[in-house]
Amino acid sequence: MFMAFSIKKWRVGMLLLPILVFLCSFFIIPLVGLLLHSITDPKFGMQNFAQLLATTTYAKVLYNTFLVSILVTSISLLLGFPLAWCITLVPKGWGRILLNIILLSMWTSLLARTYSWLVLLQSSGVINKILMALGIIDQPIEMVHNMTGVIIGMSYIMIPFIVLPLQACMSAIDPMVLQAASICGASAKTIFFRVFLPLCKPGLFSGGLMVFVMSLGYYITPALLGGVNDMMLPEFIIEQVQNFLNWGMASASAVVLVIITMAMFYVYLKVQTDSPVSSNTGA
Amino acid sequence: MGLQTNTMTQSPLVCLRELNKEYGNFTAVDHINLDIRKGEFLTFLGSSGSGKSTTLSMIAGFETPTSGEILLNDTSLINIPSHKRGIGMVFQHYSLFPHMSVRDNIGFPLDIRKVEKGERDKKVDEILNLVQLGAFADRRPSMLSGGQKQRVAIARALVYEPEILLMDEPLGALDKKLREDLQDELRLLHKRLGITIVYVTHDQDEAMRLSERIAIFKEGGIVGLGTGKDLYRKPPNAFVASFLGNSNFLKVNVTGPTSAQLDKHHIILDDLHEMPINQQALLMIRPENLQVLTHQQAENEVLLDGFNQISGTVNESVFLGESLTCSITTPSGHQLISKNIATEQPDLEPGSTVFIRWNSKHSSLYSKWEQSDINKNASQ
Repeated sequence: MFMAFSIKKWRVGMLLLPILVFLCSFFIIPLVGLLLHSITDPKFGMQNFAQLLATTTYAKVLYNTFLVSILVTSISLLLGFPLAWCITLVPKGWGRILLNIILLSMWTSLLARTYSWLVLLQSSGVINKILMALGIIDQPIEMVHNMTGVIIGMSYIMIPFIVLPLQACMSAIDPMVLQAASICGASAKTIFFRVFLPLCKPGLFSGGLMVFVMSLGYYITPALLGGVNDMMLPEFIIEQVQNFLNWGMASASAVVLVIITMAMFYVYLKVQTDSPVSSNTGA
Repeated sequence: MGLQTNTMTQSPLVCLRELNKEYGNFTAVDHINLDIRKGEFLTFLGSSGSGKSTTLSMIAGFETPTSGEILLNDTSLINIPSHKRGIGMVFQHYSLFPHMSVRDNIGFPLDIRKVEKGERDKKVDEILNLVQLGAFADRRPSMLSGGQKQRVAIARALVYEPEILLMDEPLGALDKKLREDLQDELRLLHKRLGITIVYVTHDQDEAMRLSERIAIFKEGGIVGLGTGKDLYRKPPNAFVASFLGNSNFLKVNVTGPTSAQLDKHHIILDDLHEMPINQQALLMIRPENLQVLTHQQAENEVLLDGFNQISGTVNESVFLGESLTCSITTPSGHQLISKNIATEQPDLEPGSTVFIRWNSKHSSLYSKWEQSDINKNASQ
């Protein structure tokens, strides 16, 4: 009896094997490898981390990375929220068209989109030319090869990642709940802040977290639109690998990035324990 | 009853004047006039698309009338947004705030009105006791059953003591047993609080059980208004007759003020109708007002004054426990359904000849009707 039961259990457990093998070979082993690199290259010890924390360049890089990520997340939340709201509110057909436009921009080559911003933003670019022709500015504004360019380019790229979860979250909100708030005496402003916004919280959180974490590790856009002085963590890693062949240092900074990301995710799970939207359908 | 007669003399709380709502070419509500009395339980009854919910939405302020007027205490509501109307409303799918506890859901209208904290908590506790949900105060709506959710919704709508409570099919999503329990609770609540309730439903039993007056909606208009008893016993038109309960319709020729010709039979009519003579009319009799007698019984029992008698053949009789329904064909091919208390009824064999009697007081006569009014009944 006992034997039969344990064999059955084991058999059921076997079904998990393929996914476990997959997870191990593609996620866990590389991560462990990265960790090992960071403490064994060139010799065993914490010297890579010590060196990392000792360099002012690295502190500056870390600061830049966080500043850009926070600003990009905030800007894309601010722009993505009304966009998601718009998609939810307009009649169904139009909403789908708007959503498709956003998806289309997501599917377009990242490189092409980044270079387009370069064309638009550079000193002899379209925006500067128009502003000068209108007489608003006399000198071209420096909008690329600095942090401004990085933030503009990245915010644009990140907006769909805010809009998609947020729009899903908003369309799950029962409009009758908003009507109920209205008949209870709440003005449009009160409804927005006391009912609508709290109900959007899961979408805002998941979109915001995704964008923040993606921004921390973003390379192409900062590399093309950013300047030498505003280096971000991924650029720093590339530099370590390509210019100095310092694999240990590169691994150590990558490990720091992983740890920060995991800490963020932990905080997210703590703050966002329940999902009001999932209970929305029944209530 | 004393209270009711008292309130009838008062001016109406809500007046709908020539209220009209059009969506493009479709008229959802067609120039209706209605007075809602203070303290009454009024039900809008109608099938879906009859305009009852649209009318309620216009009173609540969610829909703007195309034309017409809504008066609350003689003040126009047309340009007042819904959040300033001071109306309470309960929705079909509860529409509770999923991110708030039961207590905060109920306290929400008080928070909006900036009621002082101590008083707010006191009022919320009182109303929680009224709807018997004290033990659930700190739960989220998702952790409640359907009936409990709807009680929270009712509490939320009552907590700020609105003059009028609108209910849009509030029990529609609940199962039958729970629905009946809540109907009883709601009726008691209405008696206890004396609040004016306007209730929307498509369920005629619910309308009968709950309301003091029923307004029957058809294609955007009100086709019947009165107590359930009056509407059932003396329906103002064939539609109301077939919509409320079951009914038998017979085409007759009016021959005099109180007489008519049904095929070859001469029958007596109720003297309340105002029908021109020598015109075809529709006679309506409720199944329970048809007495079915065997040949033997018909010979033994005298035909009383004011009663009519015609003959027919039994098609089928069905025993339903408390009652016996019987489908009968008259010699001219009319189909009739009778429904009688089963204990008094002899067994009726299919094919046997029977006599059908009814009191002329229990019949209604209509000069105008649409075929769809009658057919609807047959399809039920």
